Order: sequence, then C-alpha cells, then structure tokens
Amino acid sequence: MSIEAAQVMSESEAPLAVTVRARRSIGRQAVIDTLARPGARLGLAWLGILAFFAVFGPFIANTHPILMKSEGHWSSPMLRSLTPVDVLLLAATGVAIVLWIGRWFSSGIGLLIVIATPIVLAPAAYLLVQPPANVDYSLYRTMISEGKVERVAFTIIPYSPSDRLRDRTDARLSPPNAAHWFGTDNDGADVFSNILHASRVALSIGFMATGISVALGLLIGGTMGYYGGAFDLLSMRTIEIVEALPRLVLLITISALARHRNIYLMMAIIGLTGFTSYARFVRAEFLSLRQRDFVQAAIAAGYPQYRIIFRQMLPNALTPVLVSTTFGVASAILYEATLSFLGLGLVDEPSWGALLEQARAGGNGFIWWIALFPGLAIFLTVFSYNLIGEAARDALDPKLRKRD
Amino acid sequence: MQNRFGFKDLILTVLLVLLIAVVLLGMKQLDRQWSALQTLQDQGKEQTRLLASISRTLDDMSSNGIAVSRGPTTQSAQSGVAPGHDPYFADLKEAEAKPDFARGDYLIDNLQTKIGGTLTPYITRDLYGIWVLEKIFDFLLTQDPNTFDYIPALARSFQVSSDGLAFTFQLRRGVRFSDGEPMTADDVVFSYELMMNPKIKAPGIRSYFEKFKGVEKTGDYEVVFHLKEPYYNTLNVFSNLYIIPKHFYSKYGEEEINQNPGLVMGTGPYKLRDPTSWRPGQKIELVRNEMYWGEAPAFDKIIFNEVMEEAAQETMFRNGELDVYRCPVPTYARLIKDPSISSRSTGYAIESFLNGYYFIAWNQKQGGKSSIFTDKRVRTALTMMTDRDGICQQVYQGYAKPVHGPFWNGSPQEAPGLKPLPYDPQAARKLLAEVGFEDRDGSGVLKNEDGTPLRFRLLYGTGSEFTQRIVLFIKDNFAKAGVIMEPDPQQWSVLQQRADHRDFEALFMGWGGGDVEADPYQEFDSSQIADAGDNFCSYSNPKLDQLIREARISLDKDRRMKMWQECDRILAEDQPYTFLLSRDETRFIDNRIHNVHRTKAELNLVDTWPNPIPWYVPKPMQKYTQP
Amino acid sequence: MLSYLIRRILLMIPTLLGVSIVTFAIVALSPGGLGGSLLGPNSQLRPEERKAIMAYYTARYGIGQPVYVQYLRWLGRVSPLGPKAAGEGWPGSWKIGFKIPDLGESWQVHRPISDLLSESLPITLLLEFTSLPVIYLISIVTGIQAARSRGKVVDVGLGTFLIGLYSMPEIWIGVLMIGFLTNKEYLHWFPSNGLHDITSDAMPFMPSFGPHGFERGWLLDTAWHLVLPLICLSYGSFAYLSRLTRGSLLETLGLDFVRTARAKGLMEKTVIYAHAFRNSLLPLITVTASFLPGILAGAVIIETIFGLPGMGQLFASAAINTDRELLLALTLIFAVLLMISFLLADIAYAIADPRVSYVD
Repeated sequence: MSIEAAQVMSESEAPLAVTVRARRSIGRQAVIDTLARPGARLGLAWLGILAFFAVFGPFIANTHPILMKSEGHWSSPMLRSLTPVDVLLLAATGVAIVLWIGRWFSSGIGLLIVIATPIVLAPAAYLLVQPPANVDYSLYRTMISEGKVERVAFTIIPYSPSDRLRDRTDARLSPPNAAHWFGTDNDGADVFSNILHASRVALSIGFMATGISVALGLLIGGTMGYYGGAFDLLSMRTIEIVEALPRLVLLITISALARHRNIYLMMAIIGLTGFTSYARFVRAEFLSLRQRDFVQAAIAAGYPQYRIIFRQMLPNALTPVLVSTTFGVASAILYEATLSFLGLGLVDEPSWGALLEQARAGGNGFIWWIALFPGLAIFLTVFSYNLIGEAARDALDPKLRKRD
Repeated sequence: MQNRFGFKDLILTVLLVLLIAVVLLGMKQLDRQWSALQTLQDQGKEQTRLLASISRTLDDMSSNGIAVSRGPTTQSAQSGVAPGHDPYFADLKEAEAKPDFARGDYLIDNLQTKIGGTLTPYITRDLYGIWVLEKIFDFLLTQDPNTFDYIPALARSFQVSSDGLAFTFQLRRGVRFSDGEPMTADDVVFSYELMMNPKIKAPGIRSYFEKFKGVEKTGDYEVVFHLKEPYYNTLNVFSNLYIIPKHFYSKYGEEEINQNPGLVMGTGPYKLRDPTSWRPGQKIELVRNEMYWGEAPAFDKIIFNEVMEEAAQETMFRNGELDVYRCPVPTYARLIKDPSISSRSTGYAIESFLNGYYFIAWNQKQGGKSSIFTDKRVRTALTMMTDRDGICQQVYQGYAKPVHGPFWNGSPQEAPGLKPLPYDPQAARKLLAEVGFEDRDGSGVLKNEDGTPLRFRLLYGTGSEFTQRIVLFIKDNFAKAGVIMEPDPQQWSVLQQRADHRDFEALFMGWGGGDVEADPYQEFDSSQIADAGDNFCSYSNPKLDQLIREARISLDKDRRMKMWQECDRILAEDQPYTFLLSRDETRFIDNRIHNVHRTKAELNLVDTWPNPIPWYVPKPMQKYTQP
Repeated sequence: MLSYLIRRILLMIPTLLGVSIVTFAIVALSPGGLGGSLLGPNSQLRPEERKAIMAYYTARYGIGQPVYVQYLRWLGRVSPLGPKAAGEGWPGSWKIGFKIPDLGESWQVHRPISDLLSESLPITLLLEFTSLPVIYLISIVTGIQAARSRGKVVDVGLGTFLIGLYSMPEIWIGVLMIGFLTNKEYLHWFPSNGLHDITSDAMPFMPSFGPHGFERGWLLDTAWHLVLPLICLSYGSFAYLSRLTRGSLLETLGLDFVRTARAKGLMEKTVIYAHAFRNSLLPLITVTASFLPGILAGAVIIETIFGLPGMGQLFASAAINTDRELLLALTLIFAVLLMISFLLADIAYAIADPRVSYVD
C-alpha cells in the first residue's frame, strides 16, 4: 500500500493505525526474489564456502604453525607470515560481520563501507605488515625431528600451497591419503591446500575483471545511448571490433608476451575485452529510456544531466546488466583457469587451472586426483554463479513474472 | 488442403540425404582403392627398371673394394680404404658375421613432432628432419661413435694440408644416386655452391662454413676445399654437407627449392619412394635404395611416425607398434619397473655429449650498469647454494648428471683433477658475507649494508614442465640459504629477445650438444658480448680469450687439449655460468632388434650421424614383410 | 534488401581494418619480435646457427622496418584490392587491382599459410558441422520436454542439469575424458589423440569383416576419433538452445491459434508437434548462424587437448608462439566468418519473419 493511499484513507476515515511500509527499492526486491529460488541459495552457499576459504585460508592450510614453543619462547609463525592482503581481507570481513550484526546501515551503504575498508587501510597494512620474504618450509618439520620444539599447534592442513615438501621427497605425486586429503602434485605440494588458496585468486579475478567490464560498459554504453550521434557511430564500430577479436586468442597472445606475469594484467585484459555486452545493454536501455516521459519531463524541468543519468536512467538500465554480471564473473573465472591451464598463469601461485594442467601433461600417466578436484572446484564455482544468474534472470524477467 | 510438409516428407528427405551420402562415400572408397592400385602399379614399374640396372650396380661395386686392373686411372694406393676392409662398414660387417643375421623387417621409429616444414636438405633445420635425412644422404666423412676418428664415407680418402687451409677428398667410384645416376666431383661442388648461395634458405648450415673460401674440382673424383683460416674442428663441419645430385636439383629454381618441401634424392641406403612428392602430413616411409653403393643395411623399410602426444606414444609402444620409444624421464622411470615392458624391450639411459647441458647465466652488465653478479664470489656462492645432485635425483629421478663446465663429463677437454664446487650452503653464506651480504636482522634473508636483500629474477622459457620444476627446486634451495629468487617465465620469442638485449638478471637455458670437441668461443669469448652475440652475461677474461683463440687455430691435438684444460680451470674459477646438469637420453628399444649396444656417442646407431645401421632382426622374429 | 546487404558488407571493412590494426599493434609493440617463433622451443641450437637464422629471417620478413611500414606491407598483400604485380589478378596489366590475397608464410614452420589453412580448415569444419545436428537434436528434445512439463520437476531438473553442463569447464571435461575413457588403466573405449589411427592409411574405407574379425575401416575410424571431441564441443551449447526452444515454444503455446487447436479437441501431442513447434522454430533458425563462431572459439581448446590438427590448434599455437603472420591471418578469417555469420543471421531473420524487413 502506498503512502499516498494510506494518507488518503487516513484522512477520509476514522484515524486508523495504518502501518505504512516504505516501498522497497528495486534492487532490494530483486535480491530477495532471486534468493527465494533454491538454485540461487545453493550457489550462494558454495560461494560462501569459497569466500570463507579465501579469507581464512592462512588459518586453515598453512605450514607455519599457529602456535609454537621452541627453546622456551612462544611464537605464532602463522600470524607473522600473514601478508598485507590477508590482513586487509580479514579487516573487511570483520567490518562486514560487525555491520551485519548491528544492522546499522542499509545494505547498499554497508556494502560500500565494507569495500572501502581495505582500500583505506591498505597503506597502513603495507607499511606495518611485513611477512618474512623468504620461507623455508621444511624448517618446522626439521626442528620437530631434531627435538627443538616443545609444543606446537598446526593448522588443520599443515601445508602451505608453496610447500613442496623438499624434506619428504617420496611424498611427491601421492594419491589421496590421511596426510594429504587430495594427494600431492607433481612438485610435491599438497593439492587441497592449493585448491583452497586458489579460491582467492579465482574470486578476485572474477570480481575485478567483471568490475572493470561493467564500469567500462556502463560508461561507454551510457554515453552512446544518451548522446547518440557521431560518438555512437564510432563507439559502435569499436564495440564491433572488440567483439570480432577472438577473446581467448587475444588473452593467450597478450599473456604470452607480457614481460612479467601478474594477476592485475590478467584481470585488466579479461576486463577490457568483456565490456561489449554490457555496453550494448546499457545503450539499448538508455536509447529507449530517453524517449520515456519521465526522462523527457526531467529534461524539460531542467534537471542537471548527471542527476537525470544517475537517478532516473541508470537504475532502470542496471537490471539486465546485473543479471549478466554473474555470468560475466563465471566466464572470467573460466578464462583465468584456461590461461593457467595453457601455462600462461602465475608461477608458484596456487591456481586451479595450473593444477589441471599437471594432470594433462603426460609422462606421469593420468593422475586422477589432480584432474578431478581442481576441476571440480572450478565447476562448482562457475555453476554457482550461473545458478545465481539464472535465478536473478527468472526473478527479474517481467514477462515471466506476469505469467507466475 | 494445404500442401503441408508432413512427417512423411521429413522421413523421405532424411532417406534421400542418407542415400546421397552413401553414394558419395562409396565413390570415395573406390577412389582410395584406385589410388592404392596406382601405387602398386608404379612400384611394379620401378622394380622392373631396377632389375635392369642391378647388373650395372654389380659391375661398379666390384671396382670399389677390390683392385681391378682396368687402367691407370683407377684407384691407387692412397690412405683410406684398404681393399677388403672398409672402416665405414665395419660395424655392419661384424653384424653380418653373426649366425642369426638376416635382412628384412621394418624399423618403426617416431619423430616426436609433426614435420611442419620441409624435408628438402639444407632447407630443413628441424632436428627431426635431420634424423630422416641422415638415412637418405651420405656425407664425405663421418665419425666412429667409439673412437671419434673420422672415417671416410663418400670419400675414399682425404688429406689435410699442414696449415689446415686445404682439405682434399678423393671420392669413391661407383656411387649412384637413387635414380641410378653416378656421383662425381661435380655433385660435391654443386652441393657446396647450393648451400653457400644466399638465396637458398639455409642460413644455419651456411654459418658453419663461414671460414670456407671455396671448393675446387681437381679431377672427376677429387675435390679440394679451401679455407680462409685454420680451425681445429673443420672436419666436423663436413658432416653438414649433404651430397646432393646436380642433375636433379639444378632442374629447380632457388625459390622452388626453398618452398618445395619434398625434394629429396641422395646416395644413402634408404630413399623416399618418390623424390619429389612428399608433403607435410604424409607418412615418412623410407624404403631401401636398391642403387645403394655400399653394404645394404638389414631393414627393408624405416617408418617414421609423427605422434606428439606422450600418451599416444606409450600406447603405440605397448601395442608393439613402435620399435624405438624415446620417452621422457618420468615415463622411463615408471616403465622400467613395468614387467610387461621390460620383458619385451630394453631400456637405455644414455649419458652423452650429444645431450648438451643446462646452466644459469649470471648477467654481469644489465642496462649498461654492473650488477651484483660482477663479483666472482657472488657467482661462486650461488653455485654452491645449488643442489645439483638434488635436481638430478629429484627432478630427473637420477637420469641426469651434474656438469661443472662446458665440456662433457669424461671429455679429454676437462681439466684432470679439477674438483667441482660442492653443495655447501654454509660455505656459500660465508663467501657472501665477505661481499657484504649477511643476515643482519634475523629475517633469514641476506642483506647488504643498505638493507637491500639479495634478490633477483630468473628468466626461463615456458613450455617444459621440467624447466619449471628445476626453477622451483632452485628457488627453494636459495630460499633456504637466504637468497630470494623470483621465477620469471617468458615465452621463447621474448626470451630470445631479452637475452640478445642483455635484458635479464639471471637466465636459465640450455645449449645443445653435438661436438665431440666443444668450442667455447661463442659463449665465453669477450668478442661475443657485442652485437647480440651469445656471451649473454658480458663475461670477459682476457687470459681465457687468448687461450680459446689459440686453441681454435691449433692443429696439434695434444697442445690443444692442454689449452682446453686450462680453459676449464679458468671457467671453474670464474663461474660465469652455474653449470647445472646434462640429462640422460632415455629410450626403450624393442627386443627383437638385435645388435644394439652402447657407444661413447650414444647407441651404435646415432640419430644425427650418418653411420650405416648395424641393427638387424633375426629371421624368426621378423614382424613386417614387404607387401 | 540489396542496399542493406551492400551497406552491411561495406561496414565490415572498417571493422576488419580495426581488427587487423589491433592485432598487429599488440604483436608488434610486444617485446618479442621474431625470436623464438622462428626457432621453436625445442631447438637448442648452436649459437652461430641461431644468429645466422635470425639474421636471415629478419631480412626476409622485413622485421627491421618501422611498425607502420610493416603493417602497410602486410595490408597490401592481404587485401584483395591493392598493389599487385603486373600480370596478376584483374585488371591484368595494372599495378593496382583485384587479386587473390596472399596471407604470407607462417613464421614457425615457414610454409605458406594458405597451405596450412587448407589442411586444417576441413577438420574444424567437420567438427563444427557434425556437432550442429547433435546440439540441435538434443536441445530441441529437451526444450520441448521442459516446455511441456513446465514448472514441474522435469522442467526444473532439466534446466538445472543443463546449466550444470554449461558450467563444466572444457578443460576439465576434456582431461577427465582422456584420463578415464581413453586410458588402458581405466576404460579404453576411445582413442586419445589425433584424427586417425596410425594404420589408417592401410585401412579400407568402409567397415568390413576381414580375416581378423571386424575391421573398422577409415570412415568409422575417423568417426571414432571424433566422438569425444564432439561431445566436449557440444555439451556446453545445450543449455542455451534448450532454453531458447523452451521459451519460444512457451510463447507460441500462449497464442490464440493454439487455444483454438486445443478447443478443437486435438491431442496435446499433436498440438505441440504439428502446430506449435513449427512456428516456434524461428529463433532457433536465426541463431544458427551466430553459433558457428562460438564453436570455432571452443574448438581452440578442444583441438589442443585432443591433438586434432584443425584451425583451433593452429590458432592456439600461433597465439602461444606469437607467430605474427599466422595470428593475423587467422584473426582476420575469424572476424570475417563472425561478421558473415551475423549477416546471415540477420538475413535469415528477415526471410523467416515477414514482420521484419530491411527495405528502407
């Protein structure tokens, strides 16, 4: 019931206690509808697990013990080995939990705060948090065998992803067993630990690459739809050119040529080549919206341009964009996995695709545990995003809603 | 009633399409049968022609090894082939003397790549293409795989002038190309001139002959090569000179020779059935050359498959479809324990100078500035921090050996009694402390006075799982000792560029082997620093330069060896590279192939050397027969 | 219509130019240059050889020249309308005219690219065109089923299952299939690699019963080699097409004439298959043309994993080894195919749907 109706009613009839509920914003309604579907719930559940792994990875799988008493001193090698990124993620998660419990801000602003926290704290983190630059992973095991350690508490999985077990050379390529739940890989590293830590890379590439795509798409598409004319014509050709370029091949070429492999480059390329569909959506929406009455009225009323764009047009244009975003994240994750699979990913950083490549490179025969588990992780992640996307699409599709 | 496209119509359409498809496929089958028939007919024609000319061959062969009084121009007593004992065929003759020797059967080999390029000699620089060509062509001389003596092949004898500037070869008579035409000195001259022609796409091979001035025909069966300056290894260079028929190749223009992938006609024991028609993608099947001037080898055919995938190769070998299986080390380690493999084949892990070596090059001058690697102590310390034995054991499962210099293990060029640097991280740290790098703050990282850690990037090429594993192993070695090494993988084209521009800190690479007596000039002489030469690390030692240059032009073997040994000592002292290891070549050979044994080079059949094949299959074990 | 066609074709030209410029720029501005793409990763050449080969090819391919000169030279060669030798093309005696594009020589194998293409294109096309009927058949069947049991378990289950299929990474499924289905240690049902068996040259064409029992024959052998790659290539597309079929069918089922048919008393099966389905085929037909480039892109990975010597593998090796000529040629061809397929899709749409017309 709208506020106006309630007001009318309250004026015309005896004063009733009328509970007036503020209309939910489109965004919040969309989220609720989406999450009502079981598919989205499953997807969100898995993504939640992944996020948990991404943030708390160092606490779950780490060669550095949580607590250690050696030669009379207590120390926490694990805490000392935390990187600035670890700390920032933990901070963001902490802020998110606090906000959620306290329900102090609406979800939109709350989200912004959570995202802003690591950015604000970043300089401090990079200055203060100094993990040791060089790690000798076999140190602890050697110390234990030499009897130098009085008490020690390891994480559940006492292996870091880069711990290649140089002191236990026969552990290499071992099938899943009690010590290594998913076995070890070609270099001797624990597969479970690698899969766990790789979730961070996968999620971050997914978000950031898609973020770049969406931002670029909104920018270009919006400008095209709003102004039209020559800019539209030129941008349309640019979009066609970018679409005509074979994306995977372009990614492979640039990765192969890059001087230093880093994660930001991959994000950037995946992001920059993926903006076209968002641009098209926004352009189409803007073109039609521009003709609509309320926009025409706003223009006639002399509203400043930015207000028209941001408050009138953009929220309406966002719907198809948001639905595609989830699919975009899924495909970004797939691209990263494929690039790593082809050997173009980061070295000595955990990655699902890189593990999968080991299963393929022959010589050792078929190593099923390296083929199955990392691929399963990729599959579940992509599946989750696709499920959420499908649920959102069903929720937001006006045609289907009418039917239901 | 409308004329609707009903279900019946759909069925009819589908049936019609299927019918057309079957007819087309039937036509295709007939076509293939037809071409198979055609091939058989051609074979028949060829056989008739050969029968007619075999009598000619018999006549000519008799003039080779046995003194025949036909006239004053026939062979006289010169160094080289003594009647009845031809060192070129010694191995094969020994095999023939064995009781179970038999001719027949095929040898099925595998090139681990598809020859995408060309098989035309000189144009191809594909390593695998060379394997094929070694069976089709002969050279003036070759080397004994055990003694490394030079054996005349197509030459009957040869002389080297005392100043090393003139090489005279007397050619055998009665040598015929696979089409029956005789080989003469004209062909040798033609071969040389074709190769030296800058329009011919053979820059690699040409580079070997840069010291040559020209060739001179001094008789129908004699040539003299003239050099600009003496070089100790010149005889080796002749193993790149394919002797090709002038009458065949002169029919083609230069561009056509460059482009046509299948112009292959030689004097060797085998040939391609058609010397002009081979195209990439076609099977490489070598058949016996009936015109062959020498002792016929045992195999009727040599078939080279082009299977790249490891799994497929292994399957082929298990099924008995492959006779020579060159497998990577992990496969070898796995299969050598597999009874089903070891019962029917023999595994060989071959240590050989042909395998080259891997190294880390420390760049002493990057971007014009001296780097931390300019100090010899830093390089020495880094070598002592590298567990080379560990790499051989853990990455190569024992099928590799550490090397300590550019000369192969056991080479006479190695300095006797030279002790290799041990794996001693403690001693390495002491050495680095002298330079100023110490663990000043207990962080486990070696830093100098300014607090700069000892940290660098190791550039290496992608594409090999072994390389990455070695790099990560070394990274862990260094990490333990307090040095931070960051892997810097780069794809090959970029790596080459960066190496040429000296744009790297440390470089992991390998040099291919091939020379019995290696020449360290290209890598370590200071003249090779400029102009994108191969002295990547800007290493310069004037004493070494002098020794190398003197040794290169010295024709006195003993004197030369002493100089090489001194070079070895200097390089060990200076450590411009950290010499890492030389891996073994691992392969399995089917047991039905007899007379396989090891030599100092490799096996008694070296892929890249044109020696006659001394292997055979006894009659009862023969698997393949001529159709 | 004709003017529309001409306009579209003319609009393709700036896009193609743009594609070529971008690709050229990426490769040319990179630090690699020629380098190892000439020599290949397996060649540990001797130093003097390497230098000589590099020098030779640098001169031959004109790499020393400035970038824009190289680009213009390439453009002149590749464009069907451009500078040509007298006597070539049309008009014969002029220096500029129409000619057959010369795609150049691959830097890795030094063979003309047109040769490489003629060898690899048929394989990829074979893969594509055999996967299309498979995709369509399965998608249509599942789509109809989903529409019929709308909202029920079958619909939701099928939908979720297809989304799951779509989410499965090709790299994973390919590796798993090779590992489990082609492996002597597990199930050796299929060959693991390549297009033909080693002995395929000696095989008769058709399957037959020879002295050793059933002989596969060349045809069946090729088909057997293609099964796994086909499955890997097609499974991802079921979801989209199935959903399209479902949606289109549902829309058609809501129209008046269907209600009439039902009112007439026809069986539901007849209503769907004889009446509704045919009219809902429109989107499926028009989407066909835009499918092909997607499959070509997917083929890159599949062919690499299964060792099929098709265009996809050529593309992958050109990208990894930065074989500039090959990369440019293939990118161009891919772009041309893409745009032709869009054009065909639009034309098909115009033909199929009388409401749409491009006549101005």
